[in-house]
Amino acid sequence: MTHSAGSPAPPILVVEDVHKSFGGVRAVAGASFALQRGAITALIGPNGAGKTTLFDLITGFAAPDAGAIRFEGKPIEGLPPHSVTRRGLVRTFQLTRVFAAMTVLDNMMLAGRGQPGEGLLQLIARRTAGQRVEGEVRERALAALHRFDLDGKAGDYAGTLSGGQRKLLELARALMTDPTLVLLDEPMAGVNRVLGSRLLDDVEELRRTAGMTFLFVEHDMDIVMRRADHVIVMAEGAVIAEGSPDAIRADPRVIDAYLGQARSRT
Amino acid sequence: MIEEASAPPSPRWHSRLPPAAWLALVIIAALALLAGVKGPVEAGQATINGLVDAGYVALGAVGLTLIFGILRIINFAHGDFLTLGAYVALMIAASGLPIWLAAALAILVTAAVAAALDKLVWEPMRRMQTSTLQLLLAAIGIALVLRYTIQFFAGSQVRSFGQDILSAVNLGPWHLGTLQLVALLAGIALIVAVGLGLRFTAVGKQMRALSDNMALAEVTGIDTRGAIRLTWIVAGALAAIAGILYAAAVGTINPNFGSLILLSLFTAAVLGGIGNAYGALLGGIVIGLAQEWSTLFLNARWKPAVGFAILILTLLVLPRGIFGRVPART
Amino acid sequence: MSILNADFWIGVGVIAGIYGIFALGLQLNVGLTGLLNLGQAGFMCIGAYAMGMLVVDAGWPILATLPVAIAAAVLAGVLVGLPSLRLRSDYFAIATIAFAEIVRYVLQNAAFAGGNQGIIGYDAEWRDFAAWASDRLAAIGLGEQMQLPLLFSIWLVFALCVAVLRWLRRTPWGRVLTAIREDEDAAAALGKNVLAFKLQSLAIAAALAAIAGFFLALNVTYLYPGEFDPTFTFFGYAVLILGGFASYGGVVLGTIVLWTLIEGLRFLDLPLSSGEVGSLRFVLVGLTLVVLSMARPQGLLGRRAEMQLRQ
Repeated sequence: MTHSAGSPAPPILVVEDVHKSFGGVRAVAGASFALQRGAITALIGPNGAGKTTLFDLITGFAAPDAGAIRFEGKPIEGLPPHSVTRRGLVRTFQLTRVFAAMTVLDNMMLAGRGQPGEGLLQLIARRTAGQRVEGEVRERALAALHRFDLDGKAGDYAGTLSGGQRKLLELARALMTDPTLVLLDEPMAGVNRVLGSRLLDDVEELRRTAGMTFLFVEHDMDIVMRRADHVIVMAEGAVIAEGSPDAIRADPRVIDAYLGQARSRT
Repeated sequence: MIEEASAPPSPRWHSRLPPAAWLALVIIAALALLAGVKGPVEAGQATINGLVDAGYVALGAVGLTLIFGILRIINFAHGDFLTLGAYVALMIAASGLPIWLAAALAILVTAAVAAALDKLVWEPMRRMQTSTLQLLLAAIGIALVLRYTIQFFAGSQVRSFGQDILSAVNLGPWHLGTLQLVALLAGIALIVAVGLGLRFTAVGKQMRALSDNMALAEVTGIDTRGAIRLTWIVAGALAAIAGILYAAAVGTINPNFGSLILLSLFTAAVLGGIGNAYGALLGGIVIGLAQEWSTLFLNARWKPAVGFAILILTLLVLPRGIFGRVPART
Repeated sequence: MSILNADFWIGVGVIAGIYGIFALGLQLNVGLTGLLNLGQAGFMCIGAYAMGMLVVDAGWPILATLPVAIAAAVLAGVLVGLPSLRLRSDYFAIATIAFAEIVRYVLQNAAFAGGNQGIIGYDAEWRDFAAWASDRLAAIGLGEQMQLPLLFSIWLVFALCVAVLRWLRRTPWGRVLTAIREDEDAAAALGKNVLAFKLQSLAIAAALAAIAGFFLALNVTYLYPGEFDPTFTFFGYAVLILGGFASYGGVVLGTIVLWTLIEGLRFLDLPLSSGEVGSLRFVLVGLTLVVLSMARPQGLLGRRAEMQLRQ
């Protein structure tokens, strides 16, 4: 079978009818969607819609009860988190998780992939290669810190950073793993507007220059509408709508999901 | 924050049975099987011995599991509470007071020590933000202080309650030491009493609520500070009772006995699902019976190994225990 | 005997060195990986018994048994770690202490290891060597103390282990361990195989325990299971909290401080029996653990910053 010239590239990530329950409570119930390569996609939905659980399922922190997840065409459901990351799919966490008692530079260097110095045998057998890679990783880490305006902090303990700086560090650190798809869980939460907009500028530039794909969870609709190419809406564990920001804004199901949430809260 | 499933799964007949009834069915079936294989006299004797052991394991494990459920402390000193209770009772009885009075005083003393340790060590640590490691080291430290303070005053030699250690009774074809009979009856009565107390008294409900969900209990307005102090007192008192029952059941004690049976208490607590007080009681019964039943097939010196094997298997295969509670995996 | 007596300090040095090597493994696990290993005495027991049995039952030269003793402990570490490292940290602590008790219990009751009588007669070669070394030491005026060759051997190995561990800490490998201690989920999300690194940490700790067990055997002249009860591991933790967590230099300091205090008790001239003094030592160690875990959780001589940031 041949594709016509205009047929889209295959999606980078496909989530198909994924289910997950915790002790009888259904967190994700039949979620399905596909992510287009090179797009910035926003994942929105009321609290408890299952967004973070979905991130956990995609990145191997939980295994789905049923359903399929394919990254670059290959199934990844049930793989351990480190294997998922090594395939080029990296995530950040809703509450930042920096290694507080390590320096900012060490946080970055840790994330570099393919380091011979991480193997006990290779430490001895591939001593020179290890030292060379270590030097390269250091260069890359310093360059990335410079890009995120954190180079002045390279020698500080990460625990001394402000909330916003931690968010930046977490993104920068995730990028050290050479990902093709980056999942950001509320990257803007707790970050001031200037810094947050910097972060999103960086995301857009990485998409443009490195062809990376991004999926991010965000509650600020203003940001979603301005920054995302595509929006996926979740409610009660399932995807209830998806489309361009403009289409989503006008979708009655979306308005219903949010209003319904507001009604049940009162 | 996560929605309830639209309809809860309809319960089938076997999930409607309470765990205790389930366990009773399994035990009766196992007993019938053993009686068939080894004969009713031998199987019955092992079962009686097992129930004697079950008393002190179950009562010791309740406090251990409540303290873990509420405070996330693996109390390595809990075994030494048993030692303390037994030694205080023994020393007071040796001075001529009647044994029941000695036991009552020992329970009071041990409960007071547990409460004092809460005041001196655990409460200050609750106010700091403490790591698992800190709690673990403090518990180990208290264990060493208790054990060797007892040894300092009482010496490391083996002691017993005295002359009636050898008297025995016959129940049909089965033999039992008089003290063991007392331990058996008291143990069973107390297991039932503690179970009912947890179920029906205000204190019991409060402790189970705390053990279930500390944060929620705080929100609902339980006086957590008072409830925690009370939990230590209950844990200390039950540990003293367990220690005295052990001394009665085994006949002799030394200052190490509590730390040696601590792993059996852990086993009962883990088996019952850590944090689950009923589970610990039932877990204690399982451990007591399993260890004694094993003597029908193995040399008696491997009895503790059976307990270890159950602990390891439970941790690996069923880390939530039979009755579930705290998830064991990260 | 006075506190200036050389025999006193050599005795302290020998026991402090053995506990130091033992506690280096705990430091690697607890201070640098975040693993609450309570089974260290079990690994030590396996190492010591492997040495004793290979010499006595199989007639091996004593030095040749060391690699096998280490390998046996490492194997045990892997076998224990594979299932139990998946558990939550406090359950891991229970699982490891259960392992150590099983080792002790099996050696007490199984026919192959001499039961409670233990193993004796494995150190003839060592005593020959020590006598030879003592003669050489006499030539430079150090011939009076028979324990000197053991002291020097232990501290040579101890220093070597500290140097290797400090080097490892600065490698990318050490960086991953620290990250796991700080936040293992975040480390996994960055592509690190957390279980594999924890397993390596536990295996190296087991190897260090085996080395400590080797020297312990040379010091006590006969092996019996009671020597390896969990209290041994608890003393290791006392070394850590005295010297400070996450520092190998702290282990050296901590073990010297601990054993000077414990052995120095006898100079207080207390009107107590030896049994009572023995009990008092343990009470002292217990109090050290309680007070320091409350007042200085980073350790008496540890750095506050690293511990605080971790909260």
